[in-house]
Amino acid sequence: MSELNKLLNKLIRDNAGKAKLFTAMVGLTIAILLLLISVQLQLNFNELLNSKNNKDSIANFLIINKEITDASLGNTQLDDSIINQIKGQSFVESVGLLSPSRFKASIESNSSQFPFYTDISFETVPSAFIDLQQTNWTWNEQSPYVPIIIPTLFLDFYNFQFSLSQNLPQITPAIVKMVLFKVTVYGKNGSRSFNGKIVGFSDRIASMLVPPEFMNWGNNLFAADTKNQVSRLIIKTKDPSNPNLTKFLKQHQLTTDTDKTRFSKYRKVVDTVVKLIGVAGFILFIFSIFIFTLFIQITIANCKEEISLLIVLGISPNQLRKFLMGRFFPIYCWLVLIATIIVMILQYLLHINLAKQLVMISPFIDPITLGSALMVILVIWWANKSTIQKAVYPKNAH
Amino acid sequence: MFELKNVIPFPLIEKKGVEKSNIWNKQLLFDNGERIKITAPSGTGKTTLIHQLYGLRKDFNGSIFFDGIEIKQLSSHQIAIQRQNLVGIVFQDLRLFNQLTARENIELKRVLQTPYYDSSKIEEMAQLLGIDHILDQPASSCSYGEQQRICIIRALIQPFKWLLMDEPFSHLDNKNKQLAIELISNECNKRNAGFILTDLDDDLYFTYSRILYL
Repeated sequence: MSELNKLLNKLIRDNAGKAKLFTAMVGLTIAILLLLISVQLQLNFNELLNSKNNKDSIANFLIINKEITDASLGNTQLDDSIINQIKGQSFVESVGLLSPSRFKASIESNSSQFPFYTDISFETVPSAFIDLQQTNWTWNEQSPYVPIIIPTLFLDFYNFQFSLSQNLPQITPAIVKMVLFKVTVYGKNGSRSFNGKIVGFSDRIASMLVPPEFMNWGNNLFAADTKNQVSRLIIKTKDPSNPNLTKFLKQHQLTTDTDKTRFSKYRKVVDTVVKLIGVAGFILFIFSIFIFTLFIQITIANCKEEISLLIVLGISPNQLRKFLMGRFFPIYCWLVLIATIIVMILQYLLHINLAKQLVMISPFIDPITLGSALMVILVIWWANKSTIQKAVYPKNAH
Repeated sequence: MFELKNVIPFPLIEKKGVEKSNIWNKQLLFDNGERIKITAPSGTGKTTLIHQLYGLRKDFNGSIFFDGIEIKQLSSHQIAIQRQNLVGIVFQDLRLFNQLTARENIELKRVLQTPYYDSSKIEEMAQLLGIDHILDQPASSCSYGEQQRICIIRALIQPFKWLLMDEPFSHLDNKNKQLAIELISNECNKRNAGFILTDLDDDLYFTYSRILYL
């Protein structure tokens, strides 16, 4: 410490009381802690929504259709205006139209050892929305077979229910993919048969999917009407739990997989809690700053005579401000540091706890949280500086 | 240098006899290095004038310039720099910190700016003025005469071009007065500095370049 500061320390003492100062310090630490926690929780939440590391990534695809009610029966097609509205929503990344087949079709076994026959319908979707990497996801009349994707659920249904009840063998996906069967399409222009083959299983769309080329060909040739209606959409969204999405669907009497959107309720609760913590922290922070401002003012008021004589003797505003800042500011820096360390520890504990449930968040606090801590220091610095300036030089006195 | 242009304190504007003053409401120039004595009876504004020159009081008409800059216009920072490096002062009412020792009171003024003297100079000057034995006593426990000498050393420990002294020897006996005069004279010579000294009566403490009556 410089000689000058040693002497100033003798002259300018804080008489506000150690216990009061300690209480105020605890209050400020809690305030900063709450602020930083709310920032970090929000960031953790965003990480959960967007991270690729999470096995259970929430980013997802949703199939949307009109709710089937007495009023909407027979009128479930989605018109252009609603499709465009959906496309314009911020939570929608991209939209794909699911086109249903408007022709009759059946599939049957080519093998007498494993006979089956069923009427069936298809749907098609732009290939970007298919959760399988298919190189041969296309079709023309010369193709050796029609590639078909079926829901994984179908195979599960067969293996775990149907085969058992009918005393049939269980089959693996690999075997299913090897089987060629007969696909017959018929309608106003007669019928045509092709070979068909399962090329994949989808978890995303609960439909028998065929390439768009096959669908167009079939609809053109065999459909009873030429109107190409859309009754289901697939949307890609980062966050199916976005409360705005649920709200939008509800407003427009649309429905989707509720399992995926159910999370939005928890999300709302978490959002509210995080915001409350933030607001409480902010209010406490403002109060704490006021209390510390009072401490500075009391100290300066208690030493008013000494300070005015120092000014008379020629201490410069910079020297005095530096000394007073040196007296108070390091306390604040320590408090911010303590709060930051506590948030770091909490984050690490949260990381360990969530990892047990296979939810991955970073063990370290986010740079944005550190930035917020720095912002807090800057705000305190500014508040200190202006308090000292006003208290020492109230009317620009010499 | 100091330049006074028609300076008159507000309380004296209406007072009779002010026109006879050599200073109030006159144009004056105090050149660097001058040794100026201002003589006046009590209540005529000696302390007021010293405080105006030091920038402590602004309740006056007219202007005072220091090295061409009007003192009233100086910022807090500029006035601090002036008090640290250019103008030393011995207040009539001393203005010591009672909770500091004599040495600390002087030391504070030594380290407020880049020190002009080493700290050992405090001891040396205190010896010359006969107060080295009270250097480590709280200023409040020193006699008025001792405090006056502490104030003189405090003013001389810093760099200055001008020394303002307001009845600096009022509580000193002749012997101590003589010691102080010698020290002040030497320190001013070293710095080629001038001084303005106020007192009640005429005296021959220094060889003055000018004697003015307030």
